[in-house]
Amino acid sequence: MIIEDEESLQMYVEESLEHMSNIETNLLAIEKASDNPDEEIVNEVFRAAHSIKGGAGLMGLNNIKELAHKVENVLGLIREKKIKPDSKIISIVLSAFDKLNNMINHIRESEEIDISEEVVSLTGLTTASLPEAKKSSVGQLLHIFYDESGKPVFTITRYDFDEASRGGRELYIIKWDLIRDIHDNEKSLIDIMKTISASGNIIDSTVDIEGVGTLDETVPDRVPFMLLYSTLIGEDILPALFNVNRKNIRRVTSKLVRTVGESDNPPTEPAPSKPVFQSKPEPAPPAQPRVPIPEPEPTITKPAASSSETKESFTTSDAALTADETFDNEDINAEPDENNTFENSNDIDSKRKAFSIKSPQMQTSLRVDVKLLDNLMTLAGEMVLSRNQLLQNIAAGNIKSIAAAGQRINMVTSELQDVIMRTRMQSIGNIFNKFPRLVRDMSQTLGKKIELTLEGVDVELDKTIIEAISDPLTHLIRNSVDHGIEPPGKRSNLGKNPIGRIHLAALHEAGQVTIEITDDGKGIDGNQIAATAIRKGLISESQAAAMTRKEKMDLILLPGFSTADRITDVSGRGVGMDVVKTNLDKLGGSMDIESSLGQYTTITIKLPLTLAIIPSQMILVGEEKYAIPQVNLDELLRIPADQVKHRIEKVGDAEVVRLRGKLLPLVDLAKVLGVEKTFLDPLDGRRKLERRQNIADRRSKKISHHDDDKASKPEVTNRQILESGLTSPQHPLRRQSEDRRYRATSAINIAVVSLADMKYGLVVDRLLDSEEIVVKPLGKHLKLCQEFSGATIMGDGKVSLILDVAGIASSAALNIVDISRKEKKEEVEKLEAQKIKDEKEIASLLIFSNDDGKERFAVSLGLVERIESIKTENIEYVGGKQVIQYRGGALPLFSIDQVASVKPLPQVPEIEVIVFTIGGREIGLMVVPPVDAVEVPINIDSKALKQPGIIGSAIINNRTTLIIDVFEAVKTLYPDWMDNITKKQIKTGGSGTLLFVEDSDFFRRQVKGFLEDGGFRVIEAKNGQEGWSILTKEYQDIDLIITDLEMPKMNGFELTEKIKGDDRFKHFPIIALTSLAGEADIVKGKQVGITDYQIKMDRAKLLETVKRHMERE
Amino acid sequence: MQPTAATKQKHMTELVTFYIGNSLCGIDITDIQEINKQTANLTWVPKAPDYVIGVLNLRGMIVTILDLGKKLGLSPLSRGKKSRNIVVHFEEELVGIMVDEVSEVLSARSDDIEPAPANLGGVQGKFFCGVLKTDKHLIGILDIKKALSDD
Repeated sequence: MIIEDEESLQMYVEESLEHMSNIETNLLAIEKASDNPDEEIVNEVFRAAHSIKGGAGLMGLNNIKELAHKVENVLGLIREKKIKPDSKIISIVLSAFDKLNNMINHIRESEEIDISEEVVSLTGLTTASLPEAKKSSVGQLLHIFYDESGKPVFTITRYDFDEASRGGRELYIIKWDLIRDIHDNEKSLIDIMKTISASGNIIDSTVDIEGVGTLDETVPDRVPFMLLYSTLIGEDILPALFNVNRKNIRRVTSKLVRTVGESDNPPTEPAPSKPVFQSKPEPAPPAQPRVPIPEPEPTITKPAASSSETKESFTTSDAALTADETFDNEDINAEPDENNTFENSNDIDSKRKAFSIKSPQMQTSLRVDVKLLDNLMTLAGEMVLSRNQLLQNIAAGNIKSIAAAGQRINMVTSELQDVIMRTRMQSIGNIFNKFPRLVRDMSQTLGKKIELTLEGVDVELDKTIIEAISDPLTHLIRNSVDHGIEPPGKRSNLGKNPIGRIHLAALHEAGQVTIEITDDGKGIDGNQIAATAIRKGLISESQAAAMTRKEKMDLILLPGFSTADRITDVSGRGVGMDVVKTNLDKLGGSMDIESSLGQYTTITIKLPLTLAIIPSQMILVGEEKYAIPQVNLDELLRIPADQVKHRIEKVGDAEVVRLRGKLLPLVDLAKVLGVEKTFLDPLDGRRKLERRQNIADRRSKKISHHDDDKASKPEVTNRQILESGLTSPQHPLRRQSEDRRYRATSAINIAVVSLADMKYGLVVDRLLDSEEIVVKPLGKHLKLCQEFSGATIMGDGKVSLILDVAGIASSAALNIVDISRKEKKEEVEKLEAQKIKDEKEIASLLIFSNDDGKERFAVSLGLVERIESIKTENIEYVGGKQVIQYRGGALPLFSIDQVASVKPLPQVPEIEVIVFTIGGREIGLMVVPPVDAVEVPINIDSKALKQPGIIGSAIINNRTTLIIDVFEAVKTLYPDWMDNITKKQIKTGGSGTLLFVEDSDFFRRQVKGFLEDGGFRVIEAKNGQEGWSILTKEYQDIDLIITDLEMPKMNGFELTEKIKGDDRFKHFPIIALTSLAGEADIVKGKQVGITDYQIKMDRAKLLETVKRHMERE
Repeated sequence: MQPTAATKQKHMTELVTFYIGNSLCGIDITDIQEINKQTANLTWVPKAPDYVIGVLNLRGMIVTILDLGKKLGLSPLSRGKKSRNIVVHFEEELVGIMVDEVSEVLSARSDDIEPAPANLGGVQGKFFCGVLKTDKHLIGILDIKKALSDD
């Protein structure tokens, strides 16, 4: 290495890495638009390669220079549209940049890294693009001399030479003295490079240390540095531009150029050389007038020899290149570079390395916005002022001002903390932007077509977290590509878009960052996973049977789990999912899997924004304060003394507490840590040693004899131990087994903590404040203390330990599995219930009673024709059925008690009749007035109170109300009516088949009822996905689609989009049903192609609309 | 602190000597960050190895304080007014060694330091990198890396 200047080198590395940061994205963009790549992007990549090359030349990094140069050539060809950047070429360029990246990251070893493969491929590309006559110029080397009598200073290929002297440009050799011209002027080489790059092209540069003082006879330069430069600028202006003496600039004339091979050993043997016509070069024919090679002066023999030695690696690689040339040429002409594409599937394993994104180098320096720095400076200044103020006031004893100064310091500190935190924030794009390449390469290998979309690349996270999630994310993406997305053929067969989609999104959410990875691949088969888990003995069959789908999916996270029937080379499925999870847990993050078989998999990761400062709950056990990170804390629980007995129970060995009907396992922190518990004696207000053996036990004044003396002493002893700083308390007191108490004197404090799927109560002596703490690592000697994740320093300067919730659980050997699993199930159910609740819709209902309001019923208003008041005495009995004369006809009547077991209708003089039309006939439901019409959000429980004629129950206005299923009721009473429906279709003219997609059972039932009533055949689907799969199977029968908008899995908009995007289905009219059609929804719906909007339960209008569309069909 | 042979500059090692129980030990002064009196009010770490006395806040850094006597199998500390923490650099972190008493700082020529015997005052010789003989005492020079290693 020429320049051992650490600072310059570091600068070069940083700059180069920055140049390369966007390369992948840009190259992929070029590949995508290979027919007509964006010139600006090509230029950017070109400039990157060029700058890397330039810097490397200066630093004497020949390997990097060589490779960057070759890349530059290829990019130049792309820029001039001489070659089309198809995926094969881009693959080669990408791998070259990978190599460059690798070399720059290991700059010290860069000279040892083998670049021959890349160089050969790149040279091949360049050669292939040239006209036949010029092909040889790529491999042909030229020596360029500074003066005729010297040794060659530069060796470049004829191709480069030709390129550099095109368009009237001239080649110059410019000589500087590194010491005098650069160092003494306090310039940096990179700066100079930048200036001169603006007016020309640096082709090569070199420093000849051995030649010091010998190359220039008149002025002995100490470190001659030479540049091969091509420019349009005339010779006369150059000295001013470079700030060098005119005689140090030499135009490269034909005399100074010689072809290698014919002039290999200039010092010993004069060899023929070819002149080169500068502005119009041609491949030189063999027999040309030769330039005489002067006899070397004896004095420079040695330097020259060693100089050619320094050049050895350079020349050798070029020579190797030439040797490979023929082979390579053929290869490329036939099939441009098979070596470097990833299609050779036998070779996947060796390529596998290429897929692992190197975890980012630990950065030693960081770019920070100057504004932030200024801000920091200001704050620091303020801090100093405040300190002065404080010190002065303390000296003066001015308490009031001290408080003011303290407050000021408080404010400044908070702001300082905030700003410093911001300097550590980096955008997640740093990681995200690596994935397009990963996905591209992998999908090529696997023969899949995958489109990766990124969202939220600007989301910022703490540097340490960014570094830590790179690997887990890579793993997850790999999994998605390898196992998630099916091969295109299979996808087409399934009716999916052959191009798979992976969506990677990051967003800020409630002080956390959420990262979502979604693929529309085959999903995760819970049953298959469960089966594997059973086979591996991770769970028992009965356990599996009791599991929900979600739980089965979560089994994939168990250590040692892998569903791989065959572990593929790219990524073993399931392998490492547990590792991913563990890594995330370590960061205080969480992970959640959601999947639908055959449809999609979504993995959601939640991460804290920063790790360094965390809010925590302080607690006290024994004599020490501990911190529980707020992320792990669910709630604080205080069980009053008088409730301890019935709320805390023992299940086997485990103590549990009843919390809102659920059993929560308890962990006694004092026991886990092996410290003596303390409690505040309510009688004398002093902290005393707690001596209950079980949490559920009680304290009492009634202490047996031998307890008595110990009861007063131990506190003192223990405190003495701690204050004197002695080693761990020696437990002066051992709890006695008979030592049970009978009177409650204090409450129990519990911190309910959770970590991923684990949740338990931590019993502590006292709950203190919550504080923001600064996390500090613990020393090596404490690495085995799994109960603690770190330490922090409290306001009083004392160290407090931070509890590790997971470590404590495992240390307590908490047999949490059974309880937690049961609980988890409940939670899932609760979640599902919540989901339904969230999705509950507004329904218009008629509410009435049949018995003075004691039992309440509701019926959907959409079904109601009208309401009549009638006198009971007018009811007639015909054929066992009740009827009433009405408008010259008989209106059949019924009451709810006829179909469902509810209270019978009381004997009242006047009743209300709600009239429905079912199957074209009217029927009246007799109810007791008053009848109310309400519009309420309802959440129907279709299980608990279901019976014939009753769909289920709902809480309406705080009362349980039964919802009547009019259709079923009528079916029960008049079975023949329903049969008529089919016949009636012909009459009403309504016919055709509808696909009706709706998630709510209630609405589906009702709407289906009146649609059937209207003469249509209705196929039901519970959500968009189901609707879609029915549609793909039965689309020939279907005439029209009616869909709800808000649905789980696939909502109405998505469904519509999908239907409209498919040629087979896009002609279908789609009517959207909503409970309330908002303006925004309507606009959105129109965009995706919804034909019409209807309010749910507006029967008449819906039927009319359906008919209208059907006729149009 | 009386450097005994301050004039002999070449190949001199300065040793901080202290007592662990009855044994006089020495540590190369270049390994030492500081010596302080913060021997009380440590935070005890439950479940830590028994030779860990606790952790200490040393100007914002968490320093683990060890009872070297216990760790090396010498007599444990008998804490008193003269107890001190010797904070040393150990594998990129700071570790405190609590000692009963810091004796003096000695200068020793490397010639005077002899290899440690296999057994020194009841301790395995491997914890020592040498022995310095003075007129009155035999000082075992601790090999910090080995003596503090956490396994």
